[in-house]
Amino acid sequence: MTTAGKIVNNEIHLQSIHHQQTQPHQLHPPEHSDGEPETKKQEMPLDTSTYSLALLRLDGRRWNELRRIHAQINTQAAADGSSYLEMGNTKVLCTVTGPAEGRQAGQRGAKDNEAKVEVEIGFAGFSGLERRKRKSDKRTLEMQHTLSTAYSSLLLTHLYPHSTITLTLHILSQDGSMLAACINASTLALIDAGIPMSDYLVACTAASSATTSDSDNSDPLLDLNNLEEQELPFLTVGTLGRSDKVSVLICESRVRMERMESMLAVGIDGCKRMREILDGVVKEYGKRFS
Amino acid sequence: MAPSQAAQVNLSPAELSFLRSSLSQTPPIRLDNTKGPRDFRSMVAEYDVLPSTNGSARIALDDGTEALVGVKAEVEKSLWRPNVEGRRALSIAAGDVDMTDDDKLESHDNKGKGQNSWIEISVEIPGYRDDDALPVFLASMLTESLLSSGELKDRLYINNRFHWKLGIDILLLSPPLSYPLALLSMTTHLALLTAHLPALKSEKDEDPLFDDDWDAAVPLYPKSDSSGGANVDKPPVIVLAMAVGPNIIFDPCKEELAVADAVLAIACAPSNASSTGPRIVSIRTIDPPSHLTPPAVPNAMNSATGGVAPASTAEALTQRELLSASGVWTPPRGGMKRDLIKRVSSMVVDKGGVAEEVIAALQAIEVG
Repeated sequence: MTTAGKIVNNEIHLQSIHHQQTQPHQLHPPEHSDGEPETKKQEMPLDTSTYSLALLRLDGRRWNELRRIHAQINTQAAADGSSYLEMGNTKVLCTVTGPAEGRQAGQRGAKDNEAKVEVEIGFAGFSGLERRKRKSDKRTLEMQHTLSTAYSSLLLTHLYPHSTITLTLHILSQDGSMLAACINASTLALIDAGIPMSDYLVACTAASSATTSDSDNSDPLLDLNNLEEQELPFLTVGTLGRSDKVSVLICESRVRMERMESMLAVGIDGCKRMREILDGVVKEYGKRFS
Repeated sequence: MAPSQAAQVNLSPAELSFLRSSLSQTPPIRLDNTKGPRDFRSMVAEYDVLPSTNGSARIALDDGTEALVGVKAEVEKSLWRPNVEGRRALSIAAGDVDMTDDDKLESHDNKGKGQNSWIEISVEIPGYRDDDALPVFLASMLTESLLSSGELKDRLYINNRFHWKLGIDILLLSPPLSYPLALLSMTTHLALLTAHLPALKSEKDEDPLFDDDWDAAVPLYPKSDSSGGANVDKPPVIVLAMAVGPNIIFDPCKEELAVADAVLAIACAPSNASSTGPRIVSIRTIDPPSHLTPPAVPNAMNSATGGVAPASTAEALTQRELLSASGVWTPPRGGMKRDLIKRVSSMVVDKGGVAEEVIAALQAIEVG
């Protein structure tokens, strides 16, 4: 009971802060301050309160809105392909080297019939809130693996036998949707490098908003920032261009089965919009040569 | 001697020989023939590029190499240092300093209270592990030049219990096409020059409280000293110079390094007094990649071209010794003569020298 009391206190406090920001002249109804079952409290109350009030998220977006996306292509002269992508405050820089002879003496390139895709992700020490030297931990390795398997099947690797395509990603600023940002940046850099692929691989995150005590319906949310990612169950979905073909799907949090469908639908819809944006960037760059 | 990068240039002995002879002409003809021996590659520089850092800078050279530096300061609890505490207690006990004086000293004078461990530099180069020789040596060379003046670490002192911990993260965004030390150093210089720390509001040994107005932040390297003079230190910058024959060439590119007799990295800081030029804070020799190039086989030693192949290795060595002036490529050996070091360092630090030019150029970026 004491823990529940603490959470409730916390909730009221946080509500009052965000309340002032979103709707200054309306008193918050105090319904769910007492007698609330603990089972509903597994998700952070922060999002619950503000989102159910005005259907606005912490940063003022609606459920289906992407953050500001700014992308550049061919940012670096020394690389074969390069790109820079901002999704809100998440900033990623990607360079592509290759197709080229691999570095390691033993396994230059991969098999006889196709190129190997190597991915290297580096978190800059200043990318987070606090400075942290991030060694290649399990999460980074998993992201590298996800990217490498996704692009191995997407790129026409059979055109480059015995060679290696190296993707180097520098994460300059972290604010949620890391994997999605990495995928989008890599796609742009690979297009810049002129490596043939069947379609854009674009990715987005989607979550399901927390429920309140009085209603059990939850909205799917698109493109999460860091705060939301910590509070809500979410997935990262990557699709191939305009089609609904899912190429990457990662969900590491517990989520109720029936919510999965709407989350996926919103994620795929976000990917389609993301494709339009990235396509615009590529076409804008291409105009320079026309 | 710091190691050179592992990546080798793919030039044949004939090409190396040609490059060397053109570089040792007077005046030297460089690979980029529009440049004189003292010219640097042109660059694009910007600062304050990362919103979440105290200071940041990005420099892209025209050959495509690009570096990004973020400086992040965090408040950290100081370790209790008995010798410093003890000295203070002693001086009070001896009665030669009264309390008010002591307090005044404490608030204004933090000389000698900084520690080397308060500054941490990490260098990241794509394709290298962070414990590989190249990033480790680059980081230690940059740290060494930064710590040499001692004034920076003293400015990180807040009070007896707290200090700033300065984390400098240096990212080479492109593959290391040439020895990246000069580029990384210039980018770090610019980032430190534009770095700001929040203004301190608390006094003495209180828990530190800072002004949350970023406009009130104080620069890490103040523009003027407490008396309003220009007697302030500035971050150091490292200049790379190489010697080929009689010539000294600055800011060499990768191919030029492959024929260098010797390479010097000279760290200079603008001097405190404005009347004199910059001063050298550290010098390192760098093992030039030319030492690892394969020697050419002269016609006289090649049986395919009518010569006689030497019968033993000893014979081969003697024959090679006689070749030195013939224009057949032999990797340079040995170190640097004292006279050469003297010439290089005077070219760097003299009035109107290379270091002054570089520092003025980087300063102009911040001002303009």
